[in-house]
Order: sequence, then structure tokens, then C-alpha cells
Amino acid sequence: MIGDVTTSLFRRPATELYPFERREAPERLRGLLAWDRTNCTGCGLCAKDCPALAIQMHVIDKAAKRFVMSYQVDQCTFCAQCVHSCNKGCLSMTGEYELAGISRPAFRLYFGDPADVEIVRSGQPLGEEIECDEEGNPAQ
Amino acid sequence: MQTDIEKAERFTIPIGPQHPALKEPGHFSLTVDGEIVTGATVRLGYAHRGIEKGIESRNWVQSLYMLERICGICSHIHATAYALGVEALAGVQAPPRAQAIRELVAELERIHSHLLWIGVAAHEAGFDTLFMYSWRDRETVMDILEGLTGNRVNYSANLLGGVKIDVDDAQRDAILRGLDFLEGRTRHYLDVVTTDATFLQRTRGVGIMTRQQAELLGAVGPTARASGVERDVRVDAPYAAYADFPVNLVTSTAGDLEARFVVRVQELFECYRVIRVILDHLPAGELTARMPRRIKEGEAISRVEAPRGELFYFLKSNGTDTPERIKVRTPTICNLTSVIKLAVGHQLADVPMILAGIDPCFSCNDRAVIVRRDGAAQGWTWEQLRQYGIETYARRNS
Amino acid sequence: MLDAIRSILALLVFPGGLFLLILGLLYEWIDRKLMAQYQNRIGPRWFQPLADAFKLLAKEEIVPEGMNPTLFVGLPIFGLAGCLTAALYVPMFGLPPAHSFPGDLIVTLYLLSLLTMCMGLAGANGLGRFSLVGATRTLTQLFSYEAPFLLALLGPALVAGSWQISEIAAYATPRWLILTQPIGFVVAVIGLMGKLELPPFDAPEAETEIVAGALTEYSGRGLALFRLGKGAEMVIGLTLIAAFYLGGVANPLFFLLKTLGLLLIVAGLQSLFARLRIDQVVGLWWRYGVLLVLAQWLITIVVEGVA
Repeated sequence: MIGDVTTSLFRRPATELYPFERREAPERLRGLLAWDRTNCTGCGLCAKDCPALAIQMHVIDKAAKRFVMSYQVDQCTFCAQCVHSCNKGCLSMTGEYELAGISRPAFRLYFGDPADVEIVRSGQPLGEEIECDEEGNPAQ
Repeated sequence: MQTDIEKAERFTIPIGPQHPALKEPGHFSLTVDGEIVTGATVRLGYAHRGIEKGIESRNWVQSLYMLERICGICSHIHATAYALGVEALAGVQAPPRAQAIRELVAELERIHSHLLWIGVAAHEAGFDTLFMYSWRDRETVMDILEGLTGNRVNYSANLLGGVKIDVDDAQRDAILRGLDFLEGRTRHYLDVVTTDATFLQRTRGVGIMTRQQAELLGAVGPTARASGVERDVRVDAPYAAYADFPVNLVTSTAGDLEARFVVRVQELFECYRVIRVILDHLPAGELTARMPRRIKEGEAISRVEAPRGELFYFLKSNGTDTPERIKVRTPTICNLTSVIKLAVGHQLADVPMILAGIDPCFSCNDRAVIVRRDGAAQGWTWEQLRQYGIETYARRNS
Repeated sequence: MLDAIRSILALLVFPGGLFLLILGLLYEWIDRKLMAQYQNRIGPRWFQPLADAFKLLAKEEIVPEGMNPTLFVGLPIFGLAGCLTAALYVPMFGLPPAHSFPGDLIVTLYLLSLLTMCMGLAGANGLGRFSLVGATRTLTQLFSYEAPFLLALLGPALVAGSWQISEIAAYATPRWLILTQPIGFVVAVIGLMGKLELPPFDAPEAETEIVAGALTEYSGRGLALFRLGKGAEMVIGLTLIAAFYLGGVANPLFFLLKTLGLLLIVAGLQSLFARLRIDQVVGLWWRYGVLLVLAQWLITIVVEGVA
């Protein structure tokens, strides 16, 4: 022990002075969720499988593939189950981890076409829910 | 009228639920006579969150994450036990590559847990320097896990039917580099734990548990193995990939605190060895197998070796996509009786060390058990459970 | 009249009183910073102990049930007062002591013990379990290290032929007694660690066993005064050992260098060992401490007699 202790006198401390020294986030870090609308069928498996009930799929128009996803960042446990539940590969976790905030409403994110997001936010009644089979394909 | 001597004998020291010795809330009531402990009782329940009740209203996939959060240090092994149980119910075998990766992450978690424990036990002994050094080195394994799985705690590596993450060459090199560093440091810690004079004064000959006592009290894990009990679920009933990548049993016959330190440090060496073997011979293949959303009716049992001992899951399915009942029995609850039995006769200063010696995880072991003697079965709703809790504590505190 | 004013200034401002308290806070910071460096971490910023003192002084002081309120409030004041008075006889900051009389070595050491005894009594005052166990341990430890520590400091007194601190310091100034009485130096340093309840002798305030020992029930002003007293005690103890064994503290520069050098060693010893149980502490002192210091005395006497 004495060797360790004496050499520690001359070593730089192991502490990283965050936020002045920021380490780069590893590639696989499960940070904020990101949604790529291109292949989404609106099946809602991601919402069904979320253990924290952080995702909600709002269907504006099933045929025209207009969907809005509302995502509660403060509910999310960053488990990435939604990423794997989605059979079309629409979801991914980014490397953004500095997500602290001081106001509750700011934690509710809406993904989608801005016009559609407005419809959801304004609270208008929406189209019907889509039923999905186990593959995630919408029942016709 | 009580004399002073009688009063002195019934001097009760409460340790917990808020106490610097405990990292999680629990209550130990020690009766002391001067500095010698003459009696001890334990009360738990402060970290009960109703997880077993909560999963009854969530589907099988969501329950994986709830059960993973029973404990922060052994989260992966809880998820593994659950995933293995559900796969057994559904009759699905996860592919070999997934099982190997499960074992890999489980062993990395064991490294993390044991390094954390060395630090905590050293802190209980007043040896803050060893605490700081071992936690600094633990950062290495946490960085490895973050790079591999995406998070430092609650790795969420498991899926029902397999794993989420793959190990590529870059990951492999990072893991091996980290292991080399950690192995050197672990050798140093083994040296400190077995030769440092002040540390040995606190651990050698303290909390001796004979093999008969260990078997009688039902101790599991490294606590029992330090008393010579040769039981390790990885060896006795191999799960995941332990049949292909086995571990060696690490035991000691001394049965005191020093033996528990030595057993855990030796287990660290075993972890390093097994991880290297897995990385060399990782089977090729897919990462997941197809799992139905509705699991067949039936019951299944899943036993795994958590860093603290044998973790036991009982799963019952009624054919829907929601579990009917999952019962978790964690290793700490088996080891706590040994603490109460061993504390008697020791000095007050030894009790935190004896408690630290079993590697307690109070959040793991809080369950609600209602013993009925009249034969009438009953189900409780959330509201009833909550009301019962409120009434009990109101009665206790009045 | 001028004498009285000078005495009061010496007691309250310099070199005792305010100056000593500030120096105590500074030394506490250096000790924590050195411990952190030994443990490979960063440690607190320079104003941490000062901020702690201000915060505690501003907080509400809660007198627990069952405690005698007069004792509760009075013991910290008494202890700190004893400590500050002890500084009057010590060559503080390299300047000659403010007052000096034959036998003031014993008086100084007992004024320092007054602080420890006040802490022990403060713990014994109440009903809380942790305070009572902590008080027992504080007083037990006091009885263990007191004799060897005193004898170790009397070793230089023996060769100087006086029990007056200024005379011993004057004798020790050209001579480094650490070379002729190394065992005594070791016992004195370790005795100081026992007196200050620094690890490995922090069983009386073992955080993981009895929360905070005798001071568990203290908050606010009482706690602040005890902590200031401990800081001052550290400075006085280091000054004594530096003055006696490390060739005296002739001027402020030597004072700083020697006491800080000692602090470096003390902080290193703090980080090297696990906490000793109270029975191990007593065993250590009454077996090895006393024997070592008596052996040192024997050697010194024989050498003196021969020379």
C-alpha cells in the first residue's frame, strides 16, 4: 500500500473535471431516442413494449402514413427495447446524454411532420388506432 | 427496579435505516454490553417497491426491464434469470452466440460487483484509501460495459430470446486491454488484503462461520464458499454458456472475513480467465431467436449465480402476454441470518464488517410475504397493499 | 494596563484567537487536500473549511431531549477556550510564546486534553446511543495515548533540563532531536494522531459504526466550535513536535516549512492504515507505545549519564 500511496503524491488525480473535461460518448451509448419516419407503419409495438410507457403513437391518417410520436424523455429509462421491438428499424438511440432540464413540459418531445405535430398538440380527435400482428405489420 | 448493570446489558444500538454503515436502508437492532454484542435482530422492507406486483400488469417484454431494476449491481443477472425462465416456458433456445454474450456480460458484472464490494468493505473498516483505489479501478470495467452495452449500470443487454449487443473486434480489444490492467491491480489487492497488518487485524479471525453453520443457516454464494461449502450454480447447474465455458469453484476453509475477501478476489481472477476464453472462442451465429408474444401456459424455475450467491426465479404463465406470477428469491436474504447469528459475541466495531462481508444488497431482498394459516387464498390489489403498509407503519410508530 | 491589552490581543487576535482559528482552518484544508492527493483524487477547494465553519455557525442549534442545555451549549465553548489558551505558551508562527513560566509544558498539554474531555463529556451528556458509545471510546482513547504522548514530549524536556516550552524550544533550535531521539519522535507523531482522532485512531468517531461518535447530536454553533477547536489543536500539536524534534521554529518561514512537512507525513500515515478497533488502540498504546517511549527514556538517560 505504501508504494501506491507515495506514488500518488506525484500523479495527476484520477478525477475528470467535468464539464471542463468532457469525455466523448461511446458509440453505443443509449442516449436520447431518435425516430426515422421513412419506414414507420404506425404499428405501435414500440409503445406497447416500452416498460416506462414513454412512447405514444398518434395516428393522424393511416393510409397516408401520417404519424406523430410523442416521447416523454423524463419517463424513458433508455433501455432501447423500442429500438429492437421495431421491425422496420425506425428507432435508434443517439449519443446525447446531457438531458437535464428544469421544466417539465420541455421533456415531452414530439417527432413528426410539424403540421401533424400541431394537430396532436392542439388536442384534436385523431384517426383510429392501428391493430398489428406479432410481426409488426398492420392488420389490413 | 432495574439496576445499573441490568440497564447496561440492555443497551440497544440501532443501526439503520439511516446509518453511514449501510449503503441501503435496513434496520439492525444490536443489544450491547459495553462493546460486546449480546443480541441482534434485523428488520427489512425499507426498499420494497412492489416489483413483483407491478409485473402482473405489464407484458413479458416490459417485465424484463422492471426485474432488471430490482438491483443496480446485479441487474444483468436478474434479467438473464428472467429471460432464461421465459425461454424455458416458451420452449425457445437462445442461440449459442447470445448465450455466450450473456455469460460475458454476467462475468463483467461480477467483476464490477466484486470491485465495488472491496471498496465498500474497506470503507466499513475505515480504510478509505483502498476504497478510493478500488473504485478508481472499477471505472475501467464500467467503461468497458458502457462501450459494450451502452450504459454503465442497468446494461439492458438481454432480450427475450437473445441479446441486443454484439461483440466485434474493437470491443474485443477494448475488453482485453481493460482486463490486463485490472488483473494487475487485482493481484495488488490480493496482496493488500492478505498482508496489510491493520486490515488483517480487522478481518482475520473475525466472523468465523464453520461449514456446518453455513449449511444450517442456508448461506449461499461467496459467503458460503469461504466456509468451505462447495456450491456454485455455475458449476452445479450450468446455465447460459457455462457448459461450454465453465468456471472453477473457488473455496476457502478459513470461514472468517479474510477468507471472504480472498474468495471474492480469487473469483475475480476466474472471471478474467473465463472472459478471455469466451472472447477467443465466441461462437458465430445470430443474436436472437424468435419469441412469441403470448407465452405458453406453465411454470418454470430459473437458477443463476449472482455475484452474491444463488438467485432463484419462479415464473408462472397463464397463456397470455402478461406474466401471472414471478417470484424472486435473492441471495442476500439467505445470508442475512448468518449476520445476526455471527454478530453475537463480537465487538460492536466488527458488526459493520461482518455485514459488509456478506455483500448485502437490501434493494434485492425486499419482498412482501403474507403467511396464511387458515387455508383461504386471497389476492391483493395495489390499493389494498398500499393501505396495509400505511396502517402497519402508523401502528408501529404510535 | 498595556500589558493587559497586549495579553488580551495575544489571546484573541494574534498569535492565539482569530489567527489560530484561521491557521487551523488552513491546516485542515491542507490535510484534506493531501489526503485526497494520496487517494488519487482532487479534494476540496481552499475555502471549504471556512465555508463549513460559516455554514455551521449560521445553522439552527437543536438541543436534543434529555441533554442538559447548559452543558450542551457550554462544553464546546469551554473546549475551544482551553485550546486557544494553550496556544499562548507555544511558539506559534515562529514567534516566541506570548507567555511563559516553568512547567507550562504540562499546562499546555492538559489544556489540549481539555478539548478532548469536553467532547467526551458532550457525548456522555445525552441519551443517544451513538453519543454514549462515542463518549466512552473518546475517553478510553484519551487514557491510552495520554501517557506515552506526554512522555514522548518530555524526552526533549529531559535533555533540555527544563519543563518550560520556550526553554526547551531554545535548546532544541540548533539541535535536531529527531536524530538523537527517533523513537520518541515516532511515538510523539503517532500520539498526535491519536490525540486528534485522525485515522487509524478515529474509532471514537467511526463514521461507519457510530455515525459521528460523541458529536452525533451536535449541530450548528456547537459543532462549529468543536471543529474549530480540532483544527487549532492540530496546529498547536504540530508546532510542539516541530519545535521540539525538528530543530525549533525560529521564524515564520521555518514554522511553515516544518509544520507542513510534518503534516505531509501525518496525512500519509492517515491514508495508509485501516481503522483500529478501540480495544486494539488500547492494546497498542499500553503495550508498544509505553514500552517504546520508556526505552527511549532509558537510552536518553544512559547517554546523558555517560556523556
